[in-house]
This record gives sequence, structure tokens and C-alpha cells, in this order.
Amino acid sequence: MLASLMPLAHGQETQRDNAANMTASPQWQKILSDARGETVYFYAWGGSKPVNDYLRWAAKEIASRYKVRLRHVKVADISEAVSRLKAESGKQSAIDLLWINGENFSFLKQQELLLGNLWSSIPNSAMLAVQALSLQNDFGVPIDGFEVPWGVGQFNMIANPNIFNLNIAGKVNDSKITPTIILKAAQQYPNRISYPRPPEFHGTTFLKQLLVGLSHNDKRLFEYATPEAQAKLLPLLWDYLDQLHPLIWQQGRAFPSSNTEQLSLLQQNKLDMAVSFNPNQLIKEQQEKRLPPSAQRFHFAQGAITNSHNLAIPKGAQSPAGAKVVINFLLSEDAQKQKLNGSWGDPTVITPLLDPASTLPSQQELHSSWQQVIEEQWQQKYGA
Amino acid sequence: MFRINNCQISIENGCIELPDICLDSGELLVLTGPSGMGKSTFLHWLLGDSPKHAKVSGEITLNMKPLNSVKIEQRRIGLLMQDVHLFPHLTVLDNICFALPANLKNENGKKLSKNQRRDTALALLKEINLDYVAQHYVEQLSGGERSRVGLVRALANKPEALLMDEPFAALDPNTCMQVSLWAFSQLQSRGVPSIMVSHDINNIPPQAQHIDLADFYRSL
Amino acid sequence: MFGIIVGLWPSVAISWRDLIEFFTYNGIATSVLSTLFVSLTAPLVALYISFMVYSQYRFNPRWQALEKRLAPLLSLPHLAVALGLVYLFSSGGLLWSSLWGIFGATAPQWLGLPHKSLVTLLLAMSIKEVPFFLLIFSALGRQLPIKSWLLQGRALGYREITSWWLLVFPVLLKHSRLALLAAMAYTLSVLDIALLVGPNIPELYAVVLYNWQTGFTVDEQALAFVGNLVLIVMLSILIAGIYTHEWWAVRNLRHHAIRRTSLKIIRVSRLFSHWLGLFSLLTLSILITFLIWSLGWNNQQNMLSTTPIDWSFGLWRDEWFFMRGPLLNSLYIALVSSIVGVLTTLLALELQRQAKRYLPDYIWLMAILLPQLSMVYGWQISHTALNGSYHTGWVVISHLPFTFAYSYLVLRGPFQSLDRHYELVAASFGCSYWQQFWKVRLMLLRPAMLSALAIAFSVSVAQYIPTLMIGAGRVSTITTEAVAIASGNEQSITAVYMLVQASLPFVAFFVASVVSQRLRGSFDVSHQ
Repeated sequence: MLASLMPLAHGQETQRDNAANMTASPQWQKILSDARGETVYFYAWGGSKPVNDYLRWAAKEIASRYKVRLRHVKVADISEAVSRLKAESGKQSAIDLLWINGENFSFLKQQELLLGNLWSSIPNSAMLAVQALSLQNDFGVPIDGFEVPWGVGQFNMIANPNIFNLNIAGKVNDSKITPTIILKAAQQYPNRISYPRPPEFHGTTFLKQLLVGLSHNDKRLFEYATPEAQAKLLPLLWDYLDQLHPLIWQQGRAFPSSNTEQLSLLQQNKLDMAVSFNPNQLIKEQQEKRLPPSAQRFHFAQGAITNSHNLAIPKGAQSPAGAKVVINFLLSEDAQKQKLNGSWGDPTVITPLLDPASTLPSQQELHSSWQQVIEEQWQQKYGA
Repeated sequence: MFRINNCQISIENGCIELPDICLDSGELLVLTGPSGMGKSTFLHWLLGDSPKHAKVSGEITLNMKPLNSVKIEQRRIGLLMQDVHLFPHLTVLDNICFALPANLKNENGKKLSKNQRRDTALALLKEINLDYVAQHYVEQLSGGERSRVGLVRALANKPEALLMDEPFAALDPNTCMQVSLWAFSQLQSRGVPSIMVSHDINNIPPQAQHIDLADFYRSL
Repeated sequence: MFGIIVGLWPSVAISWRDLIEFFTYNGIATSVLSTLFVSLTAPLVALYISFMVYSQYRFNPRWQALEKRLAPLLSLPHLAVALGLVYLFSSGGLLWSSLWGIFGATAPQWLGLPHKSLVTLLLAMSIKEVPFFLLIFSALGRQLPIKSWLLQGRALGYREITSWWLLVFPVLLKHSRLALLAAMAYTLSVLDIALLVGPNIPELYAVVLYNWQTGFTVDEQALAFVGNLVLIVMLSILIAGIYTHEWWAVRNLRHHAIRRTSLKIIRVSRLFSHWLGLFSLLTLSILITFLIWSLGWNNQQNMLSTTPIDWSFGLWRDEWFFMRGPLLNSLYIALVSSIVGVLTTLLALELQRQAKRYLPDYIWLMAILLPQLSMVYGWQISHTALNGSYHTGWVVISHLPFTFAYSYLVLRGPFQSLDRHYELVAASFGCSYWQQFWKVRLMLLRPAMLSALAIAFSVSVAQYIPTLMIGAGRVSTITTEAVAIASGNEQSITAVYMLVQASLPFVAFFVASVVSQRLRGSFDVSHQ
């Protein structure tokens, strides 16, 4: 036990040292002095009070430490920022920093609208837990220094406890569930289960988790989705959904539009479960007394699909130095600790704070080609 | 002196050639005729409004001044319609003030102040014992009151001629008789030549001239 | 103008394949049809309800009370009304569960509004549009001699209520075309409500289109372009729908008038004499719902249980500090853009009157009719190409097409139906053309102008996409904050922001209704 922790502790120190060395470097000092007095316009989804509060805290800290003003530009959907970058087409940008991942990142990277070499120029990125977490890829697209991981999402489900505590095939172990348990629960409690309508990202991930479970982690899921693999694997999912849908909320004739809507339906006791990418969401909701103390967190037996959400700087940013200072601060131990322990509860991405006990066992993300296949076929089968 | 010469009204499938009209101060002309003959059109043409449904030609002179090319607002001809169109956003008193000539002067030759104009208007109302409605709005007046206020307002403008389009038709017969007698005497005493369109052939005051348009109608 | 073309122009080449892909997209036909159905029906239902209410209340002492009570519902965002309705009346909603809760039972599942369905959407939209149409009718009614029409109707032996339908309805219907069109265009493209209470198997058209517009692959961009075109086609179908309905309704009424048969709808009309009470109750319950949400109440705290509910003003206290700036921005932008919008409208109407030629309405209402996201995207491109700064002035400019369009649709009817004899009389008193305009026309239009101002003001306050896309986050308004926050479905904070967002238009509508009751327009015949 002790032996296995040693290299981690050792690695941790080296990473800290690297970060400290980079911080002392003249390049970074120059960036710090350039950044003074700059205003950083940070485009980020504004739908979560904990996140908004966290950014207010960060803004205050950054202002007093670095004399940089951080302005959170709240958007309802980050695609609004992506469309702005597209309209500006690489020229001077109104955006200095944005919070993205997945398809939006992949589009911006491919259009060469993002500033590169972030990892090598931002000191605290040396502390990123690249070994423990898969932080090199964003939905199968190599990050290549065009964005910096900020936090980690792990797919989990929040549910009223009785719903999955069925004595099927033994006791539900360690809050781990399988597609079969969900189906049994739906039979026992019709109308009480649902998931966000794909292509909403949480809904699609739910389908991916089901597919992993149903195919017993078939390795073809992590390779390009060939027609043969599709023909072999996808029917497992569709057969399952054919059985499940008549038993779920509104008999599958309507779905929540988003995970947040599903959560509010759970809060209003109109559903018995919700999905989330934040493993600490349950605790935070309970602290705010928005969910009963009896509610529980579950994850899929094969592990929780894990991916990072990230920070990127547009090529045309007018305060790139300020933006880098902000990223550096957000990756600092102080900021990451506050993020984890404050009302947000978003898991850390830096090694010094990594706590294996609080993270869920992780499940590798499917090859990116599966996403579109699953969404399109779902639409074809259940979308109308 | 109000003169209308060589006047021709073209209406649908026909035309009317009016005899020359000459009204001295205080004189009244009553125009009658079946509907569709262009009575109102004729009045609007006299006023200077471009009529929609017919063509009217002729020469108008008022006090020796030719009017044909003069704009409505400079003709100094008043108009009184069946609905007298008192401005609903103004009180009766302000309606009359509105009509008082802009350059009204007092004895010293100075332009009247706002209060003086109000006093003048109130004096006009008092003359006909209507000062109790001074602060009322149009919807608070009875039909007879509306007509009388309408006439006072038209006269307040000191027009050189007055046109009336069935001004009392909406009143009940008793009030109509009363108000019209009063109106004609007002016009006569002020010396305003006037033309009135009416559909009521039996109620033409004895001193008035009368033209029935039907007498001059020629079909095409 | 340039921006519109840029925004709507396809950024990628369109091929046959894209067309085929569009039309074979699973459920597209149902999407289009159900969207058309809601867009056509909801505004018409609202129009009929409004007319019935108007005819019951117009010459009734309660009219002034009604005008004032319209303000809260007019000013609540559509989303708030939908949220409140679903929360209160859906199956398992507050109303049913507390009714059954009194007897210690659980309300049956089938009872109440379905959470997401065409019916729910239809209901939410209709309820929300009723006060809008009442406001339009109120502005129109001041210029029309309704009272004397009713009198004439009675003289011919018709009952008052019959006269309303036979004589007043056709005229109001004709003058409400633009308002109907605006309401339909709004329903057609509304996104947030469609996501929340609309059916999503298949999704409503606006949602499908939004997914394409915000997807950035070549395929999705092509689909988005085709989708925009289809949206415009749908709009023209709605326009045709407006005219067809008008033709049908007028023809029907004429039949009744000629044959003097009894109108069935009159029986329905009567129901609405109690509308004010019901309506106030509904508004009040929605407001109370939002208020208790904002004080931290949620379903985990049972009203009936013995544990005390911990009410807290904490959220209000925390957020107030951050809301002041955006609130002031909203106020400033809305004031300027609504005033300029109304003035431009008067200019446009006056120029058309002088030219004696009225351009087709859809030209003036373009901003409401075209797909907003693509149009504003075009403005954004032009704005960046011009190296425009992210100044409040630009945001005001980006709001103008919308405030203009709405004030045009409010003012056009009253402006055109103003009795020209008033100006003729003024001319005979020696008033010049401009004196007639200022002293008579504008004075008589004051009540309608106030309504137009209030609506334009609230339209400006409600703008999210133009404010965000042109203001670029430098100019944050209460709405950019509220919409972003509402996207997270967090009940209590959403409630705080929506209440604050509603407060600005509320003040505008309230002031407008109070002031216009003191002003006199033509035929402003109070209940004598």
C-alpha cells in the first residue's frame, strides 16, 4: 500500500517543482506583468449558480493577486461563443477565454481558431494529473495544448434509494448498477425513469454507458465504428431500449430536454432518477436541501465515463496574457481546492489534490465515431 | 361676399352644372338633393379638401379674393359636420381656444396670453349660456350641446364663410328646430355667409336661398 | 440589411443530398406540422379569447381594473408563464397534489397537464398572448367608433353581444393582422418554451433548427440553411392562414348577419364575463410560485408538514449586488430603443401617408419574421467586419428593428383608422399641415403611442440573442443574465432573475395603463 503510493507522492513533488520553476521563469513573469490591468472576458455557461458563485470568488482573488479583471460572460449555450468566433474568423476577438469541450473544441481546433501551446506556457499545467486521468484527449480529439483541462466529469446517476435497491441477482453492490437493474426498476416503478433526449450530451452518454454494459465492454467500442461493429453491437442497445421505453416517464413519448431539467423533475418528485457528470452533485444538492438525505449516487458497474471540461483561449483574444494568468490561477491548488470543496464540488485535475477515494472508477470514453452513429440511429428509431 | 361661378360637379354617370352662387354677408344657402348627388363633395371642394368620389370644377371667390389655389388652412372657411368632431383630447373650453385665430390681439394690439385666450373663449360660451360645460369633455355633452359648442367653435375662428354638412340631422326634431333657429340667427348677426347641406326640404328657413341639385342634373 | 443577407446566406455549398437528408430526417414532417399547428392555433385562440373578454369588459366599469391587471402577465417572460403553469397544473403538480394532499391521498397520474406536449405548449402560449391582444384591442378601440356601431346595431334590433360579433369583430380582426402575425412568428421560432414544455418526440421545428444552426459541421450548416428556408415557407403558410381565417370568419359572420341566425359563439362569450377574476387568480398564483421559489422553497419542504420551512432572503441579498448593473443597462437600452423605435414608426407611417402608398407589412415586420439566430449572426459578422466597438449604442441599434416592428404593429391600426375629419377641422381653423400633425394626430394617438412604447420597451428588455451577440458580454442586461441562468433549471435562482426581469416591463405597462387612462384619444368614451 505504502509502496504503491510512493511514486505518486514523488511524482507530485516533481510536478509542483516544475510548476514553481516555470512560474519563476522570465517568460511567465513577462506574462504576469503584461496581464496587469487587463480585463479577461470569460465566456462560460451561466446556468449553474454554484459555478457562477465560484467564478465570482475567482474574480475577486484574481483581481487582488494579479490585478487582472475577470468578467464572466454568461451564456445559455456555449455554442453562442463558438458562433461568435466563427463570425470573427480569427480576427480580433471579443472573447479572451472560453469553457468548452467535445464537439465545440473539435470544431474550433480544426478551424484553427484557438491559441496553441497553452500547456507549455502556463506553469500550473505542469501539475495536471495526466497519469491518473485521461486528460490528453477531449472526446477522442487530441488536446495538443489548445485547451487546458479545468475539471473532470464522471457520469453518474442520482436516484431515490428504493428504486434500484432491488434484490435482483444479489444485492446492488456499492451503488453499481447495470442495464438489467435499470430495466427491472422500470418494471417495478413505471413512469419514474427517464434520460435526457439525445443528442443532448448527457443523454448520449447514458446510451453509451448502456451500450458498454450490454456488450460487456466490447473492445470494438473503442475503435472506429465500422459497419460490421455497428451491426453487431447496436442491436443490443436498441433491443434493450425497445423494452425500456414503454416503462419510462411518459412512455418514452417525451424526454427531459437536458440533465438540468431532469434534475429539477427529480427535485419535484416527478422522476426517481437523474443523470449527472458531477460526481459530487448529490452531496451538494443535499447540502442545499434540494434532494432528500436518502437519495443515492449510482454509477455503471463497468465504471463511469470520464472526461474533462476545459479552458481555451481564442487566437484573436485581446488579453491573451490575462487569460493565461486566469487559467494558471484556476489550475492552482487554492482554486482547485475551492472548486472541489465549495458549492460546486467539481473534481480536481491536478495531482497534488488527487484523492483516489473520491473519484469513481473510470470507464474509457468510446471512440468518437460512435457518438454520431448512436445519435443518428436513436433519432431514426425513437426520434419521432 | 361669397361667389361660386361656373361650377360643375361630375359624378358617376352624370354631371351637375350649378347656377352661379352669390352670398352676401349673413346670407344662407341651403343645398338639397338626393344622396349620391355630390352635396358633401361639393362642400369639401369648397373647403379645399380634394374630394375622392367626384370631380368638381369652378371658380370660388371670397371677399373678392380667388380661392382655388389657396390651401385649406388659408381659406378662412369654417366647417360644421353632423358629428362636429370636437377634439376628444381637449375640454370644451380648449376646443374653442384651439379655434381662436392665432394672432388674436387685445385692445393694445398685443397678442393674447394663454389666460386671455381662455377668457375670450369662456366669454363666447357665456353668450349662449353654455359656460357650465367649459371643463367638460366631448363624451360628457348631450347631442344638442355638442352641436351648439361646435358652432361656437366654428365661429370663434372668425371664418369668412361657413359650410355646414347636415349639422343638426342627428338631433331629435325638437332640439333640431331649436338649435337650427339659434344657429341661423347667430350666423346672420355675425354676417357670415354660409352654405348648408340638408336632406330636409321642409325645414328651410324663409330668408334662405335654396338650390336643389336634382334640378341641375344631366345624365351622360 | 447587408447583415441579413450575410446571415441567411449558406456558408457551405448546398447539394441535392442535403435536401434529401433534410426531408428524410426522421420526424421532420410531424415537426413541421405540429409546429405549424401550434403557431396558427395558439395566437388565434388567444385572439378569440381576447375579443370575448374585450366585448364583455369594454363598456363595463371593470375595464380600467382589467387594463391595470394586464401588466403583470404582460411583463412576465413567456418562459416564466410556461414554468408556472407546468409547476402548478401538470400531473403531479402543486395544485392537484395539494388538493389530494388535504385528504391524504395522491393525485392520479392522468390528472393535469402533460409535462411536455402540444396541448401544454398551446395552452401556455395562448394564455400568455391574451393580454397582448387585449392591449392591441385597447389601442385600436380608442380610434374606432365602436360605441356608435353598437348603437346602430341595437337600432336594427340586434343584441349588443351580437353586434360585437357582427360589426366590431371583422374590423378588429382586420386591424389585428400584424399582431397575429407577430404572435405566430414568435410561436414558430420560440426555443426555450419549446424545449421546456413542447413535445420532443419528435422535437418542435424550432428546436430541430437550433440544433443544426449551432452544430458546426458542414452537414449541419447545410441542413440549417435548408431549415431557414423552410422556416420562411412556414411563415408564408401562416400568413396565408391569417388571411384564410379572416376570409372564413368574415364570410361566416356575414351569413349570420344576412340570415339573422343566432351565433353559437355568443354562448361561449358569456363565459368570459368572469375572466378578470380567473385571470387575476392565475397571475397571482404564478407570481406567488415564483416568489416562494425565490425564497428558497422547494419540494423537499412540505407545506403541510410540521417542520418549519426555512425561508431565506439570502439569494435576493447575494444576487442584488450583481443585478444592479445589468438592470440599469436594460433600463437604459430599453428606454432609448423603445423611444427611437416609436419615433421611427411614426416617421414611417407619416411618410407612407404622405406618399399615399403603404408598403406591404411584412417589410416593416421583417425583424420579427426572419429567423432571428441567422439574422443576428449576419449582423454580428457585419459588426465585426466594421470593427464596431462593443458599445451600448450598438446594442441599442441591434434592438431597434425589433422595437420598431412591434411599435409599428401596435400603431399602424390606430394611425390609419384615425378619423381624418379632425385634421380637416383643424385645417379649417388655419392649422398648417405640421400643426395638424402635432396638435391633433399625435395628441389623439397618445394612448396608442403609450401602448406601443410599453410593448417596445418590453420587447427590448426581452432581447437575448442580439444583446449577447452584439454586446459581446461587455453589455450585460438583466435578460442576458436571466436567460443564461434559466438554462440551468435551478428553480430558486431562476425565479429571482425572472421576477427582476419582469419588473422593468411591469413598470412600463403599469405606467402606460395608468397614464393612458388619464389621456383622451378619439372615441375614448368612458362608461357613462
